[in-house]
Amino acid sequence: MAPVILQGVSKVYANGVKAVDCVSLSIADGEFVVLVGPSGCGKSTTLRMIAGLEEISSGSLIVGETRMNDVPARRRNMAMVFQNYALYPHLDVRRNMAFGLERRRSHGSLLKALLNSTYRDKRTAERKAIDARVSAAAATLGIESLLHRKPRELSGGQRQRVAVGRALVRDPVAFLFDEPLSNLDAKLRGEMRTELRLLHQRLRATMVYVTHDQEEAMSLADRLVVMKDGVVQQVGTPTQVYGRPANRFVAGFVGTPTMNFINGTIEAGGVFRWSAGTLQLPQARWVGLSGWQGKPLELGVRPDQIRVGTGSSRGRVIAVENYGDRMDVVIESGGLRLTSRSPTAPLREGTESSFELLLESAHLFDPAAAGNSLPHLSPTSTA
Amino acid sequence: MVPAVGRTFQWLLAACAVLLIAWAFLTVGIRELGRLLSTDARTEIVVMHWSGEGGQEEDAIVEAALARFTADNPGIRVRRINPGDAGSFYTKLQTMMASGDPPDVFYVGSERVPSFVDLGLLLPVDDFLAADVEQKVSDRLDLDGFYPATVAAFRFDGERSGQGSLYGIPKDFTTVGFYWNKDLFAKAGVSPPRDDWTWDEFIAAARRIGTLPDCTGAEFVTWPAMVRAYLMTDGLDIKGTSFEMLRTGEPAVFESLDRLRGWRHDERGALTSGKSKIASGSSVFLSGKVGMAGPFGRWVVPSYRKIPPPSQGGFDWDFVPLPRGKTEANIVLTVSWSISAQTAHPEESWRLVRFLSGEQTQRDLAKLGLAIPTIRAAAESSAFLDPSLPPANDAGYLRAAEVAQIVDWPVNPQFEALMGSRLDQGLKTADVPLPEAIANFERDWNAECASPLRGASLAPMPWDAIGLAAILLFVLVAGVWMVRLRSGSLTGREREDERAGYALASPWIVGFLLFMAFPVAMSLLLAFARWKGVSPLAQADFAGTANFEQIFTSDARFRTSMRVTLWYALIAVPTGQILALLAALLMNTKVRGIHLFRAAWYLPSVLAGVGVSVLWRWVFDSDHGLMNMALEPLLKPLGIVPPEWFGADAGVWGAPAFAIMSLWFVGGTMMVYLAGLQQVPADLLEAAAIDGAGPLRRFFSVTLPMLSPVILFNTIMAVISSFQVFTQSFVMTGGEPGDLTRFLVLYIFNQGFEFYEMGYASALAWILLVIVLVLTAIVLRTSNRWVHVEGGAK
Repeated sequence: MAPVILQGVSKVYANGVKAVDCVSLSIADGEFVVLVGPSGCGKSTTLRMIAGLEEISSGSLIVGETRMNDVPARRRNMAMVFQNYALYPHLDVRRNMAFGLERRRSHGSLLKALLNSTYRDKRTAERKAIDARVSAAAATLGIESLLHRKPRELSGGQRQRVAVGRALVRDPVAFLFDEPLSNLDAKLRGEMRTELRLLHQRLRATMVYVTHDQEEAMSLADRLVVMKDGVVQQVGTPTQVYGRPANRFVAGFVGTPTMNFINGTIEAGGVFRWSAGTLQLPQARWVGLSGWQGKPLELGVRPDQIRVGTGSSRGRVIAVENYGDRMDVVIESGGLRLTSRSPTAPLREGTESSFELLLESAHLFDPAAAGNSLPHLSPTSTA
Repeated sequence: MVPAVGRTFQWLLAACAVLLIAWAFLTVGIRELGRLLSTDARTEIVVMHWSGEGGQEEDAIVEAALARFTADNPGIRVRRINPGDAGSFYTKLQTMMASGDPPDVFYVGSERVPSFVDLGLLLPVDDFLAADVEQKVSDRLDLDGFYPATVAAFRFDGERSGQGSLYGIPKDFTTVGFYWNKDLFAKAGVSPPRDDWTWDEFIAAARRIGTLPDCTGAEFVTWPAMVRAYLMTDGLDIKGTSFEMLRTGEPAVFESLDRLRGWRHDERGALTSGKSKIASGSSVFLSGKVGMAGPFGRWVVPSYRKIPPPSQGGFDWDFVPLPRGKTEANIVLTVSWSISAQTAHPEESWRLVRFLSGEQTQRDLAKLGLAIPTIRAAAESSAFLDPSLPPANDAGYLRAAEVAQIVDWPVNPQFEALMGSRLDQGLKTADVPLPEAIANFERDWNAECASPLRGASLAPMPWDAIGLAAILLFVLVAGVWMVRLRSGSLTGREREDERAGYALASPWIVGFLLFMAFPVAMSLLLAFARWKGVSPLAQADFAGTANFEQIFTSDARFRTSMRVTLWYALIAVPTGQILALLAALLMNTKVRGIHLFRAAWYLPSVLAGVGVSVLWRWVFDSDHGLMNMALEPLLKPLGIVPPEWFGADAGVWGAPAFAIMSLWFVGGTMMVYLAGLQQVPADLLEAAAIDGAGPLRRFFSVTLPMLSPVILFNTIMAVISSFQVFTQSFVMTGGEPGDLTRFLVLYIFNQGFEFYEMGYASALAWILLVIVLVLTAIVLRTSNRWVHVEGGAK
């Protein structure tokens, strides 16, 4: 296990397309880092550069203490789980899992094995060790009974486990996951997520995980790396990214349902004016923002910070999604659609309802500055 | 469910399909009917000839002669067929004869007279000649004015040539001798050969010329007729009192043959070793590096006349008859105008033959320089003796004609083929000691003579019973088919759809039944029959398993061809696959202009077979071929001489040469591999790289297994095609020397179309089919060990 450090890593393709733009990232030994972003954001390319499947155009990749830019994939000693599992279809599960270990076994001619008994013993011992490790990994993943099957005889979930198992038997410096769960159904995906999390807890291995599913990212990551158009938008723990999104993109990307965005301006006294009226920002939120007075801004409010049935604002309920334990309500007001999430809401579609925006943890974004988040002054700093 | 409008359209289409078939049969029928009801009262005579070396000029001369004939004979209409060279001519003649519709008048080479007469194909002309004398016909032929040997060549009494009835009028002939390079003779200080020179003088001259740099004394072809001519100059022959009694055991014959072998193989420079010049020995002379070439007849003259004079970089040359041994001898090779025994118009046909063999036409043809008129007066006239054109010694041919004999052949055409292939192993390639080669020839010929398929009378093929059985079988199958169509769980609509489907497919079904299923079934029947391909099918005899017995017990040529074919397959299949795969790997890289490279690799596959074969014959020429010129600098330091591919080393290197040539066509296979390679999932290769596999390991552990279904397909196709080699060997070597490049299919062709043993050839073809089936089954059987099939189904 070793830390993985990216220093200003970029990927520019021959046709001039810049897929990854100057990514710097330090992944600590044993850390579970998830690269997340919409498709085409460069997360997979970044992962493939770490794996050695893509050449690094500029910048450095350092694993442990070694610069790995020019080390071929097969010598990087990483393990990777692919989206389509990439199981060798002609080999059974055992040999699929053993493939990487076999490659690292001592190699010599059959003649040498016949003539040299020491060498022969060494090879036998190695073979036994490989078998033992494969069996152990299979036991961990509960796939012992599948060892003699060919991949085509396995279900999607089983293939997924074998793919993980193939990575597991190795003793790699890092595990790389390239959207490994995206081909599974929702239920299985949830189960595998937990298992991966448990696996990480047990192995304490460096893991780099790529997904476009922010929920999956949040649930797995020690630290999230949110990317867009090849550029890292924010790096942080799930709490940081959710609670203090660096910009409007991150704020919109993370969290379900998506954050509500309201265009408007701040006026004196922390009054936020928007199309349906005015909102009074709490003192803690607007202090220090006087410089933005009169400028167009975006106010971001998470759905769980909108209460329906109370408050002074009024709107029309246009959709109610009942999840049993909670309800998502879409309200139209002032030409905007706002989504609210609340435990219960005895509302009917088409009716008028009052609602209230809780603005203690509201976010303000400056469209003029690429949607960057306006400074959040914590109550302590204002004091 | 088809909607109503669609249904009408469907039936309209089906009706079209049925009409198409009816039309195909009708057009042929109407043509025949038209011929039958023709108002043209003239008698139609069909004439067939070839114009190989004579080319378009010969074609034009024959055409002009026919025009003159029809002008003189307004009651006769002549239809002329010229299929091209002699080979195409005989193939065409054979199919016409087998179909019972041979031409009325056609060329026949004297060597074919015994077998054609034996098959009852030729009409004797003695009665016509006698009648002409009786009726004092003005343009009657006077055979006394002909060179006697040329007339004798077309007499056959059922056992011997030279006596009995006359089966055609010789139109022209040639004697044989050597063409000699005047410049090389002068350079070597050898005095010009006289017409009565001896073999001692011949070999002395050859040796002297052989000492000149890069030069060889003589090219001596060992074609069976020429070997017999050579023996005749010592008063000897291969044949004894009959062809069943060979003289090959006589010490004098052996001595004479061994002298020839010794000249070629025991000394250097005297005689060419007969390397790759199998197909066209005469072209060696054109190089200007060979002192003499022969024994050839007059037919090489048109091509030698194109040799430029010394002032333009060429050389002067002339002709000299065959040297004397213990006696002076020569042979005539001649072609006649003959009449089909089946002609409906013998009288008119004879008039045409008389006209075409007459002096005027002979004089016209003599101008080609290709052959000598058979009428002495024409030969000795300026029509043939033309001092303005080489060779200066035209008189040499005529001098030889005075001592020339006919080279007769037995009824069984295999004699000449066996003699050629077996003796060549001793005389030409010397890969078998001469006594052994002679013994092999005797053994094979004796086996051929003793074969139950020869001579012995067999019961005729029970065609009536077979036809009845076929009809019964057909009715049975059709009946079962009908019952199955009627029953079953189809609804009325579905059944109607099904019928429409069959009607639509009927043009193909009828075509398949007529042109595939029927011939296949016939060939299976013929495998148990003795049928000469030139006689009507009704004359086929039932042979039981005699064909197969002969093939497996006493046919040495079959064994040789099997060995050649297997040896070829063993080399061509794996090397072809490996090269195609390697090429596909190269073509699968992302390089600028890769499409150009792919096209370049594929291009040879689209080139025509015969042209490519001619090209490769040059490539494998032992002396001046590209292959040996490339190999020589590599092998010389190791003290190895490059092989004489189609010569002395043909036993080992003949088949591999064809295998090397087959690599020229890997483009097609490569494309299939390329398509396969592009289907190998990239993430598998990436997974393997992550797992620590290097490029080689990735190839063997991932690419190759993923490609295994493609490899299986390509291997099966390659195995099948490796047993179908024909064009290359037919064009490049003709199976020579000594059968060492005679592939199985070529041998089948030889049996069927040269010896007319269609039954035997059918049996061979079925054996070939079984071999290919068995090999394919073996490949398929082993495939589940090494072929990975995606999706589970094997």
